[in-house]
Amino acid sequence: MTDLSPITALGGAVPRSVSFGALSLSENTGLALASLSLRRGASQPVPMGLQLPGPGGWTAGNGVAAFWTGPGQWMLEGEGRAEESFARELKSRAPDCSVTEQTDGFVAIEIASAAGPEPIRALMRKLVNIDAAGFGPGCATRTGLEHMTVFVIRRAEDRLAIIGMRSLAGSLWHALAQAAARLEGEPA
Amino acid sequence: MTRLSGGLIDRSQTLRFTFDGKSYTGHPGDTLASALLANDVRLMGRSFKYHRPRGVFTAGSEEPNALVELRTGARQEPNTRATMAELFDGLSANSQNRVGSLNFDLLAVNDLASPFFAAGFYYKTFMWPRAFWEKLYEPMIRRAAGLGSLSMQADPDAYDKGFLHCDLLVIGGGAAGLAAALTAARSGAQVILADEDFRLGGRLLSESHSLNDAPATDWIAALEAEFASLPNLRVMRRTTVFGTFDHGIYGAVERVSDHLAAPFAAVRQTLWRITAKRAILAAGATERHIPFANNDRPGIMLAGAMRSYANRFAASPADRVAIFTNNDDGHRTALDLAAKGVEIAGVIDSRAGVRALGQYPVFAGAMVSDAKGRLGLTRLQVTRDGQSHWLDCGALGIAGGWNPNVHLASHHRGRPVWDETLLSFVPGQDGPPVMSVAGAAAGKGSTHAALTSGAEAALAALSELGRTATLPDLPRAEDAPINQQAFWHVPGKGRAWVDFQNDVTVKDIKLAHQENMRPVEHLKRWTTLGMATDQGKTANVTALAVMAELTGKSIPETGTTIFRPPYTGVALSVLGGGDTGKHFRPTRLTPTHDWAKAQGAVFVEVGQWMRAQYFPRAGETTWRETVDREVLATRAGVGLCDVTTLGKVDVQGADAGEFLNRLYANAMASLKVGMVRYGLMLREDGHAYDDGTCARLAEDHYVVTTTTAQAGPVYRHMEYARQCLWPELDVQLISTTDAWAQISVAGPNARALLERIVDGFDLSNTAFPFMACTELTVCKGLRARLFRISFSGELAYEIAVPARYGNALMAQMIEVGADLGATPYGTEALGVLRIEKGHAAGNELNGQTTAQMLGMGKMVSTKKDAIGAVMSRREGLSAERRILVGLMPVDASQPVVAGSHLFAPDAEQKTETDLGWITSACFSPHVGSGIGLGFLADGTARIGQEIIAANPLQGQSVRLRVVSPHFVDPEGGRLRD
Amino acid sequence: MLIPHPLLGLRDAQEFTYLGDAALLNRPDGMAEGAAEAFNDYVYLRDNPAGVHRELWFHEQGDRSWLIVTRNTVTHEILGAELARDVALAAKGGAQ
Repeated sequence: MTDLSPITALGGAVPRSVSFGALSLSENTGLALASLSLRRGASQPVPMGLQLPGPGGWTAGNGVAAFWTGPGQWMLEGEGRAEESFARELKSRAPDCSVTEQTDGFVAIEIASAAGPEPIRALMRKLVNIDAAGFGPGCATRTGLEHMTVFVIRRAEDRLAIIGMRSLAGSLWHALAQAAARLEGEPA
Repeated sequence: MTRLSGGLIDRSQTLRFTFDGKSYTGHPGDTLASALLANDVRLMGRSFKYHRPRGVFTAGSEEPNALVELRTGARQEPNTRATMAELFDGLSANSQNRVGSLNFDLLAVNDLASPFFAAGFYYKTFMWPRAFWEKLYEPMIRRAAGLGSLSMQADPDAYDKGFLHCDLLVIGGGAAGLAAALTAARSGAQVILADEDFRLGGRLLSESHSLNDAPATDWIAALEAEFASLPNLRVMRRTTVFGTFDHGIYGAVERVSDHLAAPFAAVRQTLWRITAKRAILAAGATERHIPFANNDRPGIMLAGAMRSYANRFAASPADRVAIFTNNDDGHRTALDLAAKGVEIAGVIDSRAGVRALGQYPVFAGAMVSDAKGRLGLTRLQVTRDGQSHWLDCGALGIAGGWNPNVHLASHHRGRPVWDETLLSFVPGQDGPPVMSVAGAAAGKGSTHAALTSGAEAALAALSELGRTATLPDLPRAEDAPINQQAFWHVPGKGRAWVDFQNDVTVKDIKLAHQENMRPVEHLKRWTTLGMATDQGKTANVTALAVMAELTGKSIPETGTTIFRPPYTGVALSVLGGGDTGKHFRPTRLTPTHDWAKAQGAVFVEVGQWMRAQYFPRAGETTWRETVDREVLATRAGVGLCDVTTLGKVDVQGADAGEFLNRLYANAMASLKVGMVRYGLMLREDGHAYDDGTCARLAEDHYVVTTTTAQAGPVYRHMEYARQCLWPELDVQLISTTDAWAQISVAGPNARALLERIVDGFDLSNTAFPFMACTELTVCKGLRARLFRISFSGELAYEIAVPARYGNALMAQMIEVGADLGATPYGTEALGVLRIEKGHAAGNELNGQTTAQMLGMGKMVSTKKDAIGAVMSRREGLSAERRILVGLMPVDASQPVVAGSHLFAPDAEQKTETDLGWITSACFSPHVGSGIGLGFLADGTARIGQEIIAANPLQGQSVRLRVVSPHFVDPEGGRLRD
Repeated sequence: MLIPHPLLGLRDAQEFTYLGDAALLNRPDGMAEGAAEAFNDYVYLRDNPAGVHRELWFHEQGDRSWLIVTRNTVTHEILGAELARDVALAAKGGAQ
């Protein structure tokens, strides 16, 4: 194990988290990411036993998850595996594909609601031009958020993940936290 | 006594407010305008040009006159319509556009000079002398002809934005909108109902009509209860849909807390971008007036507004009022006010033979021809068959018919069409295909017609979306025609206002006609008609009618006006969105940002990035001192710089080499695994586009870098090449810029430093030569990539580790390299190092230069096709003689200034003799003077010669010597050692 | 504006970057006879119709697909959108 100490995308020694009313935000530093692209003529693999989702989709199973990022392209997620060689393992399971290590390219912010789906939808309305009503569990997309490009994943009715560029972590956190804080302060 | 009985105000609460410093009271449910009327205040402002005393003219968002400065201090908000300002306790408002008091405005002298201020006056008068414009005329005019003033302080409130999606957007919450929303929401469709008012109901709130023989408010209350139970319906009060955009996108502003006293708990206003599959415009209609002499006296208003004040707000502008009408609707106002105990002085009806509908005098076939009462109406002149008499009254309601609010249907150039029966423009067939129009906005103004058309429009819209809905039981409602006569203005000599806000009179329109400014577009611009903040909502159609009369043409022949967004004014703050200051745009931080901050680095914005510019130490007094030290330390020992911001693209696939061959001007397929090559990209037009390095990690795997500035565009360009030009190639791309923290390690001690952190990797020159690359581990097992490349001319490497370790790696290298002179350097020193080495960067790759100019002409391979290769060989580019050179002052104390142009020492300095220009310049601690890079005609041949750098902007002319662009180690021995 | 993405449905135009005439797909062969002439036309001569136009849009804040969008430049009506890659492959004879 290296003698260097990592810092989180938000610059801390430990992940950041905060709550506003029913919504909580937490930095997911354990999430390993690796992109997977089909090569010419390759058939779609079932890496780590996971059936890859179609356009706009996210699926989870066998301890990993994947979301569609483009034609013939996916991002694989390994929860709690950020310190492993996740990309290398993926490559070994899908040798005919192009695999790229992406764990440190992004910051993942997990948003949970303690009051069902409505706070998640309300937050989405303030942040992304995606119809929350048609964006149920299992949906994932890349879109714009406050001039940043992010992946938005609906992990469950009451859970949403926003994955943005790591260098923008501070701005992204600010945008999410401010929107959540403003929702909490809205006149009834 | 002008507070009436009844109304939709909450008398259980009293709200205190001030207007021009004087205290008044009102009630929840009041607007500022209604509360002022209830307090007997008719005079609310001064007109734009003539400073005429003005009172409130309408009861809605179309208000041209009663514009006030609302609130105080930093929250002072000019040009707020008193008719839209919801009363709250502690509200403070001031009249605007006056010098002195509202009752005695010193600039009212403009009114006496009105013959000079007629249409086109500015265009004709202030032309000469020219110099007077900026110094005298403009400041004078701005002082005199203004609206409210700004606080000149930063807005302390927060604004927000958001996105909504729905099947059906219903714009307007009056009879038609409510029926449409009810119909659609019951079907289960996602529906948004938006209304600019704080209370749903629209005109229903202003009328005394019953619905199902009960007050309309009973029906509305029942509806609101049902609405609250429908999760698929979002009711947005205080929300103005201000613009229609392409494909069913609408802009709306929700005034979230404008109605609350400050400070606000949440945001002040929210800008919503609504995407709707279908929309129904149910924006109602705006009443029009009938111009007559001195028709702008305070107390004169639209008859429908008078009814709104009486029925909804329980306020009357006077105890004795008159009505001037050309239709039955004016009589309704008389009836409603009489029912509230207001004395009706008379109804002056332009139609001959009409009779009263109640107990009030009627002057049939008559017109109002003049008005008295400078600060408030006192008397009207009534003329019939050439005979005039004066009628005492304190207010006049004018009923000139209704103009459908077609605005949002014409934002896409949809042209309204004239309806001769309704005597008004109604939306045509060329509006947005996803929008239908219902109710008074479609010319269906009776309550029954509005309700029915709203529900039917919803049914039709839902059916287009493949949904079935059923017509709800709609309440029984009045359905009377208004029997309007085409009577547009009262002839006469006095000034009769058409556009109150911009002070445009019938005379001005006559003048425009006389000067041949007859097309409606010319009429508008010559007179400024309809160009005020109210966009002429109460003026445009009347002006057209006057012009039609003058030209002898019909109204539709005369023209029509269409509208642009916004429907009503939108504050810039809300368009600016949620964030100001530091968070106005996102900021990218490098992986070593926190470390650099702890070292006291000074940061600089580079696009979105914040980069360490230099690292000042105690005792250093100027940035130059610091930068010089960083440069010298790097050349003497080893310098460390975070270069993560360079774009990194992972290129994989069987054809990755071939793909890069076509993308870069030079060959990339021939690059050996484990090696790096400099790459130059051209644009297809043959000019240099971007540069970087390509590292080949495996047969089918490259990592390429781009410049920081072009990382985004180059990635897009690469995807374009992959998808659009050569889709047959097996190549996959993904950006990895943020994934790897990349640190440049440069200087003679670079190898020695790296040897202390790599895990037993052989860094010797034979094992890992110049331009080698590898994957390895460092710091006991951390995966890393190492590239032996140099931007500084020194022995140099770039080391990349997963971004989360960048901060620690930088700290570690500085620590273990202390005895080697390890020194962090920032972007300034980076720039100096590369200029000293003669490396091109953004200043040289500015989109106007070629490979040849950069001294890389031979790199453009003729053996293969690549983007830009063919065009780079065309005559205009291949004959280019300017080439990159180094420049030094002959007198070392003289500066070298980037942007200076280069001339032969004895040449006259003009475009024809211009030999080139300086692109980059700095002070070189290595050389000991200023140095520069520049493009110079026949530069190579001029090496050793002197040249003049002219900077005429600052009167500078400096003698320079032309030298090789490589000020440091021109043979390149250092980087290969 | 809304762009009907062939895989993702209607997406707001703000997610896209515009490039221009889809004729850019027909890049001449730089090694062929007359390449200079062909490239001059390719780089500089574009149709700019008032009416139906096929143009390239990049779904930058999306799936990073280049699309060919058929749009009426007068009305902004969008008549369709295809993946540029599919169109380019078909033009090259379906070679994969």
